[in-house]
Amino acid sequence: MATHKVEQLVIATVGFFWCFLMWFSTAAFSPSIAAAYHLNIKALGLLASSAIWMAPIGRIVAGWASDRFGAPRTFAAILAGCGLVSIASAYTTDYKLLFIERVVVAIAGVSFVVGIQHVAQWFDAHEIGTAEGLYAGTGNVGAGMGALLLPRIFRTNYHGAFLWLGIFALVIAAWYLLRGSAAKTVEKRQLARSRSDMRGTLFVWSRYIAIALMLAYAMSFGLEIAMNAWLPGYFTRGFHNAILALGFTSVAGVQIAAGTFAAVQSFTASLFRPFAGFMSDLFQRKRWTPLPFIAKSLPYAPRLHWLGIALIFIAMSMAGLTLGGLTGSLHISVAVLVAMGVFISFGTGGTFALVPLLFPDRPGAAAGFIGGVSTAAAIVYPLIFASGSSIHMGYAVVALTMFVPFVAFYFWAARYERHPEEHGLVTSALAMEEA
Amino acid sequence: MSMHSSSDSVPHEPWYKYGVAFLLFEMAIAVAVSAYSLYMTFNGIGGFPGKH
Repeated sequence: MATHKVEQLVIATVGFFWCFLMWFSTAAFSPSIAAAYHLNIKALGLLASSAIWMAPIGRIVAGWASDRFGAPRTFAAILAGCGLVSIASAYTTDYKLLFIERVVVAIAGVSFVVGIQHVAQWFDAHEIGTAEGLYAGTGNVGAGMGALLLPRIFRTNYHGAFLWLGIFALVIAAWYLLRGSAAKTVEKRQLARSRSDMRGTLFVWSRYIAIALMLAYAMSFGLEIAMNAWLPGYFTRGFHNAILALGFTSVAGVQIAAGTFAAVQSFTASLFRPFAGFMSDLFQRKRWTPLPFIAKSLPYAPRLHWLGIALIFIAMSMAGLTLGGLTGSLHISVAVLVAMGVFISFGTGGTFALVPLLFPDRPGAAAGFIGGVSTAAAIVYPLIFASGSSIHMGYAVVALTMFVPFVAFYFWAARYERHPEEHGLVTSALAMEEA
Repeated sequence: MSMHSSSDSVPHEPWYKYGVAFLLFEMAIAVAVSAYSLYMTFNGIGGFPGKH
């Protein structure tokens, strides 16, 4: 089959965009579902959080499956499976069954690592940052577009939305299967397949640099999806008087204001992500290695430095958000949030510009571990944000107790000037066998 | 900085400039949404679609 890597990038990006649209489509209709089934606030919270439940484990399995069976088959299976259940959920009238079906549909979110593996199998080292950034950034917009457009198109008719989302998922699955190609060369495909065993997975999971990248992704993407769920409530409660003073007095008005302020994080984090990958490529071309401690002579050392800079800025912006909140300034808080979204995109784009280069033989297993386990952080952050005496202090607490140690570990794990992937928790025998 | 990547000297393929153009377009959308939100923090109901 004659194809081009840009065609593969487009297929992966469209598939991922649609999967993200399905992933967050339940949240987009949660007020309608709550009204239809008379859900209380606790049940609504459970429905909202259920979207993330399958991500940590599901992404690990999906990463392995993409190495084993190839990205097109794996992606098509996810699209078709989630699409069929989405169609079934459109005709469901029992809430318990609907809840279970929407948890299954949320598995669509695991497709991220499959596309990462797919793109990594097609693009070369010097352009991988931009390619992965375009894939992930454009696909991530599906979440924001769903929240923005689905309620406007379908209003309260979530049955119709779930039906059409499922039907288009089936169409994209067929396209992926027909036109998708697993790797640029047969050799590359066979290498990924041959390394998709338990030993290979254990190798990735035990590497210090893989753990450091997983924590970096927890600081960036984990924070991004946690903030998606957290920020509307934060603005409503933390800046209630300021929003009222702006003239938003009705419940609907306060919701629109809080949602608009919260949206800056989601939009900047998603839409700046391709730029972050481009910057990683630029650092690489210019050989910029400004940070101390981090390796300077590795072939991809500048990309390690770019990610290090991003992590420092993410931690600083968390402190800035606390300061903005404590001063009571809505302007400062929204401005800091814009910066935070950009820094988060630097972190997400920077991380996945490195993953295929550090683990070129098993991109799926690496993407599954780093992109999967890190999402568990999205469950932890809101709990910490909500636990303090002041609603504004949680950001600083997370920065000090989690992000500072994560950044320190990253600097430590990225200090090796030769083969950082050889250093890990398991004895060097495993690494030597792999080398 | 002794070990330079072999990729340093590789020229970009034609697709790359379209990729960069698309990422700039996406950034412009993000900047517009951010600017609108910041505008709303100052002007409140004066900004579309906040007339509630």
